[in-house]
Order: sequence, then C-alpha cells, then structure tokens
Amino acid sequence: MRNVERLCLAHFWVAFGAFLAAAVLGTWQMWVRSPLGADVGTPGQYFMSVTAHGVAMGYVLTTFFIMGFGYFVAVTALARPLPGKAWAWFAFWMSIVGVIMTTVPIATGSASVLFTFYPPLTGSPWFYIGLVLVVVGSWIWCVLMIVAMAAWKRENAGRPVPLAMFGTVANAIMWLWTTVGVAAELLFQVIPAALGLTQTIDVGLARTLFSWTLHAIVYFWLLPAYIAFYTMAPRAAGGRLYSDTMGRLTFILFLIYSLPVGMHHLLMDPEHGNGTKFIQVLLTAFVSAPTLLTIFTITASLEIAGRLRGGRGLFGWIAALPWDRPMVLAVGLSFVMLGFGGFGGLINMGYGMNAMIHNTSWVTAHFHLIFGGSVVIMYFAIAYEIWPRLTGRGYTSLAPLRAQLWLWFIGMMVMTLPWHWLGLQGQWRRVANFNYADPIIAGWGPWVIVSFVAGLVLLASALLFVRNLLVLHLSPQAAIARPLYALAVHPPQRVPAALNGFALWNVLVLIVMALAYGYPIAQFAIAPSPSAIVHRIE
Amino acid sequence: MTELHPEMHERRILGTELLWAFGVGVLVAATLSMIVFTALTMNINPPSNVERIDPKALHLSGEFAEHNLGTTVAADGSVTTRVVATQFMFVPRCIAVPQGRRVTLRFSTPDVIHGLLITGTNVNTMVVPGYVAQVHTEFTRSGDLLMPCHEYCGIGHSEMWATVQVLPEGEFKPDSEGKVSCAQR
Amino acid sequence: MHSDQPSASDSPFEVADEVDEAALARVMRVVPLGAGVLAGAAVALLVLGYLAIYLLVFIPRGTIG
Repeated sequence: MRNVERLCLAHFWVAFGAFLAAAVLGTWQMWVRSPLGADVGTPGQYFMSVTAHGVAMGYVLTTFFIMGFGYFVAVTALARPLPGKAWAWFAFWMSIVGVIMTTVPIATGSASVLFTFYPPLTGSPWFYIGLVLVVVGSWIWCVLMIVAMAAWKRENAGRPVPLAMFGTVANAIMWLWTTVGVAAELLFQVIPAALGLTQTIDVGLARTLFSWTLHAIVYFWLLPAYIAFYTMAPRAAGGRLYSDTMGRLTFILFLIYSLPVGMHHLLMDPEHGNGTKFIQVLLTAFVSAPTLLTIFTITASLEIAGRLRGGRGLFGWIAALPWDRPMVLAVGLSFVMLGFGGFGGLINMGYGMNAMIHNTSWVTAHFHLIFGGSVVIMYFAIAYEIWPRLTGRGYTSLAPLRAQLWLWFIGMMVMTLPWHWLGLQGQWRRVANFNYADPIIAGWGPWVIVSFVAGLVLLASALLFVRNLLVLHLSPQAAIARPLYALAVHPPQRVPAALNGFALWNVLVLIVMALAYGYPIAQFAIAPSPSAIVHRIE
Repeated sequence: MTELHPEMHERRILGTELLWAFGVGVLVAATLSMIVFTALTMNINPPSNVERIDPKALHLSGEFAEHNLGTTVAADGSVTTRVVATQFMFVPRCIAVPQGRRVTLRFSTPDVIHGLLITGTNVNTMVVPGYVAQVHTEFTRSGDLLMPCHEYCGIGHSEMWATVQVLPEGEFKPDSEGKVSCAQR
Repeated sequence: MHSDQPSASDSPFEVADEVDEAALARVMRVVPLGAGVLAGAAVALLVLGYLAIYLLVFIPRGTIG
C-alpha cells in the first residue's frame, strides 16, 4: 500500500511551483530596478511582485517543502506508516485554500504590504486570513510529527529516536513556539484592523510580536538542511556521521536559542531600549553555537568519507570525496555560502554595527545568500536524493543535477556579493526604480546590472531544477534501492532522556522567552504607546 | 597497530567537539566583549531613545510643528535637527548640518513606518508612529549626502528621500531665530 | 502507480553500510585533524574579516548612540 508518496509529492510540487513563480518575479524585479529596466513597470506592479515573491519564497516554498519532507522522514526514518494521514491531507488542502486566499488579493493589488506586513499599512483581510490557514495547516503537521515520534518511542522503549526524526520534531516544536508571535499579531491586531473592526493599531507591539516569529522562522527553514547535513550527507559521501550526540545537541540548541533573539531585527527601532536589545544580541551569539558546532562535525564526517576513499595528508581527503554525487556537491557549495552568509549575519547582529547596514542591500544580500543559497540548495539536494523513492524511477544521468546546483551557486554568489558592497555604499531596500542620474547613485548602476545578470542565471537554474524532477517522473530506469540515512561512527545504543525528547527543553524555551520577550511585550500594556491610524491599501 | 576501544572512540570524539566548542567559544566571547567594551566606552549603541509621542497629533505638537522643523541652534550652542517622515516625503526635504560638531537628529511620523539612513555615516534609524527616533552624531566631512527612506512605506516609497548638506563651520550660519537652512545652489 | 517498486514506507531506518570497521578505525586515528584545520581556518578568516569591517568601515563612520 502506497503510504506517503502522493502526500509528499503533492507538498513538494506546490512548494516548487511557488518557487518557480517567485523566481520569475524576482528576476523581473531585478530588471525593473536596474538601469536596463528604468522605463519598465509601475511602482504598484513592483511592490505587488515583491509581496508575491516574499510570500511565495518565505511562506509557501518553505512550509510545503518542510511538511512534505517531514512526512517522508516520519515514515522512512521510523519505518512505520504515518499516523493520522487523513489529517495530513486535510492540512494540505486547508493550506492550499489559504494560499489561494492570499494570492488573489496580492494579484489584484490590495495586499502590497510585503511578506513582513508593516502595519499600520493594511491590506485586504483575505491576505492575512489565507496565511493564517497555511499556518494552521502547518500546526496540524507539527502535531502529526510529535504523535509519530511518540508512537515510535512507545513501540521502541529505551531506544534512541532516529536522528532525522529527532531533528524533524525539534523543528516542529520550534515552529509551534515560533508562530505564536505572528499569530498574536494577526489575530489580535492586524486582522481586526483589516476587517475594519479597529481604526488604530499599536505599531510598536505589532513589530515586537512579529520579531518573535521573524528570526525563529529562518531556523524553521534551515533545520531541514541541517537534518540533511547530519543524516544524509555522510551516507552520500560513503562515510559515517562523526557524532550522533552533536546532532541531537545541535537541534536542541536551535530549539532553545532560535526564539529569544528576534529583537536583533529591531536594533534600529525606537520602541525598545539598549538593555533589551543587548540581551537579545547576547542570545543571538548563543545561537551561532549550533552552526559552529555543525560545520566542525559535518566537515569531520566528510573527512572520514574522504580518508576512507584514500585521501591522505591534511587536505587530501577533500579531493577524494565523491563530488559527482549531487548531495555531496550541494553540501560543499552550501558550506561556502554559509561562510559568506554567516559573516554577513554576524555583522547584522553586532549591536551598534547594525546601524552600518540596516535596511540596505546588505540585508537583502545576507538573507538571499544564507537562505536562498545555503538552505535552498540543500532543499534541491534533498529533493534529488528522495525523488527516486517517491517516484520509483532512477536518474539516467546525474550531470544535469550537478549543472543545476553549480548554476545556483554561481548565480547566488554573483548576485549577492555586489549587493553587500552596494549596501555599504548606502543603497537602500524596496525601491522600484533608482534615480541613476544622482551622482551618488550613478556608480551603483553597473553593479545592479551584474546582480541582474546573475539573477538570470538563477532563473535558468530554477527552471533546470523543475525540469530535472519532471524528467525523473518519466524516466525509463527503475529506482535503485539505496539506504538514505547515515550511521554514526558509534551508533548509540541508548541516549539520555534529555537527548531523546523535548519535555525539559520546552521548559527552558519558556524560561528564556520570558526573559527575552517578557518585559518588551509587557511594556506595551504597562505604558501604552500611542496608536497609529490604520492605513488601508486600496 | 592496536585499535582503540570503542568507548574511547566516543570519548575522544566528544573530546574533540569540546575542544572545538571551546575554541570558537573563545572567539565569540572575545568579539562580544569588544562590542560591550565599545558600547560602554565609545557609546557605540544602536539608537535606543524610547520616547513616546502621539502620531495623530504630530502637527499640533510644539516640537514637530512645521515651523519648528529643520536645524536649530539653541542658545547653549547645541544643534538639533527635527524632521517629519510622512508618505512620501521628509519635511523638510533638505537639512543643513555643521561639520565637526555634535548634532542631535530627531524624527517622527504621523502615519506609517518609515526609516532612514544617511549615506557614508552610521546614521540609521527606524521611524515608528508613536515614537520619536533620536540619533546623536558628528559629521566629519563636508558635502552633500543622501538621506533616503529605507523602509517600505507604500507605493511612493521609492521617491522618498532628502538631502543632507554638511556645511563647513564658516558656512553654517544660524539666522536670528537660530535656524539654519540649506544653502541655495 | 508503481506497485512493484519499494515504497517509501517499506525501508528500515538503519541499514548496515559498506564501511569497513577496520578501515574506519584506521582513519579515526587522524580524523578530525583535517576538519579542525579547515573549519578553524574558515572561522579565523571570519573573525578577521569581522574585525576588519568593524575597524576600517564602521568606526570611521562615527558613533550614533
């Protein structure tokens, strides 16, 4: 009986369809804001596109991909059928309704508020309600992931939960905590305003609630890539995972420290003082820990694989790795982009240093490189790795897969590195057209064109990605059964309960969130800030 | 050659992870300490003056009434520039600031979220309805700088920017009311 | 669909891999030296780049606190 193939494929095709549409929109945006497209498009069209691009990439590609991958892991890593599959399909269709409900007002121009909303700018209520439906669908997924792991633990008392599932459930629990912020903002502030039930809105509170979600959401997006780093990459490379324990620790650290750091997106905001900002910068330094641990652990895992293949000397193992395999290639390219993207991120969170780059193209560069680059390239790699299982077909050649990954890497690096430079020059964000006659702005033109050309390369890569998956559906070759998940150097027989479940960590999350967000949110009730008038977008 | 006992393997692995964690931990701590040190000694902080104001009555408030906007030199010599950010312009569109003197910049908005930066400087702040954003700085070089609105504030956002004229001491002359306007060029 | 092909739900989660335990023990004597040097160099470059931007770009632009 086919268990989850259709469920996973449904989610993935929605995700990748949204991704392709968003890639087209992004390329158009880059053309319009460059000197080459100075006479093309109106600001209304531009901001409609920016809203659609952000929603599609940030909410649809991600949520649907993560849900589909989660169902896949729950079945393959736990070797048992998915519990509550009817609920999974219900969640899928509810999220689809939500996507449609969100897309229509965007397309008619009544929701150009960008994926970050920016109240008191207020769009059509259907835009927000649609997104709420997508989030509620994802909550059902979260519950199913937790239920699946709990059922497995009952049937396998005392055994360590397979790492891929442990990471997936960590992500699910983190997502439940993450969405509280935006859900509160939408349900209590923005949607009532959009429906006309309230005429004013507390902007400081709205921004603070959104910031609760805004950073943790990127870790929601990122954790599947890390699940692939820990559980798929070592196997694909022909080696072992250096440390299963570090994998568990990494997911736990992300669960705790992804959430209480959102205010580093508000460092330039006047509604919070230095004290709370500094506390969250300190916590942000802590969330760099799991990434720093991961780059060591995964590099060591790859070193094992390379040395097993005959690599000698300090670095000989690097060339010895099977770079012809898409998963291995993707990890290498992802790590390079992680280095540059992480560098930008460390500067963004550097307390006072945030003033140097806030709301400039540096920020745009950073999140395109770290998310669009290191994370999304792993989404590609995961899809390539599991597609044979989902379709029962095998690749006749891996060359187009590698070509697609290289195009993505080159395009992303060439697009984002000039943006970093332009950000330092003061180029600011969300501009439909620049006045290239201005002496300060004129020098930016050539770099904007370079980024645009790189964007065309990305578009080609996006098309090739979808083509590669479509072609596999029709492949004449049958899939060769290959095990997916890596063993650790020392597969654990038992792990402490703290590394096998999340009860303790949930308590810690609560404590840390109270410390980080307690007063910053409470202050809006204690000393109410003046509200702003709701500005409805027509 | 003898093989390591499996348990020692695991201990050795965790030992290397601990060593690595310690090493990067030191680097992260050092970087953080530098941030704390400069915050305390050089006043390198993000703009964090928490001051509330009613956006709906901004034009009525003494401080941000139109005649009070722009750069004013007070009796004690302190220089304060007040700007209102609104859809879709800064009022005034051009501000004059002195080179080499401490300036206090104060911003507010009656409508939606805006933000601004001044090119070539670290002046950068959000302007949130309900609050006065305040930044202190010193402009070291004379010349014209760009002050765009850098946060999406609606359809006209791309056209929203102001000019900052950094005037050398000799050209920065307050009028009888202490106000300094942009030089006509 | 493909009823004769393995289903995603059919596979056991832990399948013995092709890694030879003796070979693994041999390489584990050296690992993670290469990784430590590579990752360490990358992090060191990161920190140096950070300091460079802090001292050469950020500080000269003035304080705003």
